[in-house]
Amino acid sequence: MDSLQLGSYSFTSRLILGTGKFSNARVMLDAVRASGTQLVTVALRRFNREQLEDDLFGPLSQLPGITLMPNTSGASTAAEAVRAAHIARELSGSPFIKVEIHPNPQHLMPDPIETYEAARILAKEGFLVMPYISADPVLAKRLEDAGCASVMPLGSAIGSGQGLSTSEMLGIIIRESGIPVIVDAGLRSPSEAAAAMEMGCGAVLVNSAVAVASDPPKMAEAFAGAVVAGRKGFNAGLMQKSGSAVATSPLTSFLGAKA
Amino acid sequence: MSTVPEWLTDERESAALASMLSPSSSASLEALAAESKAITLRRFGRTISLYAPLYLSNHCSSGCIYCGFASDRTTLRRRLEPDEIERELIAMKKLGISDILLLTGERTKAADFDYLRKAVEIAAKRTQKVSVEAFPMSVAEYRTLAECGCTGITIYQETYNRERYEALHRWGPKKDFLDRLETPARALEGGIKTVGLGALLGLSEPVEDALMLYRHARHLSRTYWRAGISVSFPRMRPQTGGYEPPFPVDDHLLARIIFAFRIALPDIELVLSTRESAAYRDGMAGLGITRMSIASRTTVGGYDDNNTDKGQFDVSDDRSAEEFCAALRAREIEPVFKNWEPVFNGPSGTQSRTVIQEEMHSCH
Repeated sequence: MDSLQLGSYSFTSRLILGTGKFSNARVMLDAVRASGTQLVTVALRRFNREQLEDDLFGPLSQLPGITLMPNTSGASTAAEAVRAAHIARELSGSPFIKVEIHPNPQHLMPDPIETYEAARILAKEGFLVMPYISADPVLAKRLEDAGCASVMPLGSAIGSGQGLSTSEMLGIIIRESGIPVIVDAGLRSPSEAAAAMEMGCGAVLVNSAVAVASDPPKMAEAFAGAVVAGRKGFNAGLMQKSGSAVATSPLTSFLGAKA
Repeated sequence: MSTVPEWLTDERESAALASMLSPSSSASLEALAAESKAITLRRFGRTISLYAPLYLSNHCSSGCIYCGFASDRTTLRRRLEPDEIERELIAMKKLGISDILLLTGERTKAADFDYLRKAVEIAAKRTQKVSVEAFPMSVAEYRTLAECGCTGITIYQETYNRERYEALHRWGPKKDFLDRLETPARALEGGIKTVGLGALLGLSEPVEDALMLYRHARHLSRTYWRAGISVSFPRMRPQTGGYEPPFPVDDHLLARIIFAFRIALPDIELVLSTRESAAYRDGMAGLGITRMSIASRTTVGGYDDNNTDKGQFDVSDDRSAEEFCAALRAREIEPVFKNWEPVFNGPSGTQSRTVIQEEMHSCH
């Protein structure tokens, strides 16, 4: 079985969905269902115990077959992220935590120093840590050494729809990594998700591309299909690229032929 | 007279915005709206975050010619005591509001820093997110507010035209143009996480104010890279005192300013308050604006005792929270009440490079 292994958890779907930016909770839930995902991330800051109509956690937690991965979005330091992780685990019961630390609230780029520190602490405490990072191969290895369950490098700036603009660095991270590499942020189209899977990513996380589509559930379904296709392509073994034409009937095929 | 900082007069900084705001701009309003909408959708999705103001006090020591709280107005002066603040917060919570902006006038004995600090403490215990729109403070005072749970301050420059500013502010501490201009930086230096900027449209030439407001936002975001910046576009509304704005801004110009800001600053929060009409707010939702006030009362004690006295200004969109949210939902936009977690409160360490360099120097 070709499953995604995160700690002791195993998932057959390799598409992870984000839950922000949707027009309402019903559309978000429809998209989650249509995606076939088994792992969904939700920001602790969108947990609202006092006003259920505004709460994202409640309805998600009722969906069968879904594991929740709370995230620390809003944290600007390691200390804040660690506190948020503790609260999120208490409220959700999930051992997963997506460490998101972006001190600049404008462009939301992850802080490598604070992220490493929070991931190190939380992994020691037994969390299944999924850090959101820039596509930095050295940081990825440092986080693996610190005991993270995966690394989640960005394909491009969050919400930008610029696709796999970090593909060169992603290639190095995938080649070197002993834990799943999950491309998070920047994907715009299903074909980009397929491309990420063909590169050898363990999974992709998509939010904006689905949430702001004209028909979010349909787009979620499209991403699901693309992820499956991309993974199959990777498993089947992609042909090597060549800088020049390679004839299907090579000119030298006669050599060694029996008379 | 001290000179204004260079960043405020650097025309190169705001050239792109100037071309969109120019009367001879080649970009039609419709084209700007389409681009602004696309950027907003991509960056913020189909959501609007909501907040409400809580007027703590209408005591004021300044003489702003355009304000209903100016110290020469005959308005009955009042401040909320701690138990009244609690009651207001409970009433606001019933409306679902968890993001609150505490307001006072300029610093007075009746409503000074200690009073404000206590109010922040009370609010931070009862709600998710607390910001303050009050008088300019020192770095140390802002640090204390941040430690008490205040995450943001809003401080409008009112107008960036210094001559107009001097004429409009007849007396009081607010008369100091440069002190006010430097206040957002002091707040960020003190560890406040977000600052809200704005010019009160109508007081001075609006395009000039918009360009300098933009430069202010860019200057702060570059210097304090961890800071959240939001920009509001308040237009003069009828208020006690009856001041008529000499530079009225019509709906079209306000829309052009908002769209241009969204295109030029794709990542920052743009705010529209209940000063604007229901129709205008509904139309603007998702076209650039990402944050709105809701069910606002501009009177001291407006939520719990339903005080119907005249407030700082007349609100235009007086719909209830439910009515407003229904209108957003009808446009397939989600009203977001809670988008913050108190675990992220506390001073942010948004020091400028200068402070960090000084600290490093002192280590050697």
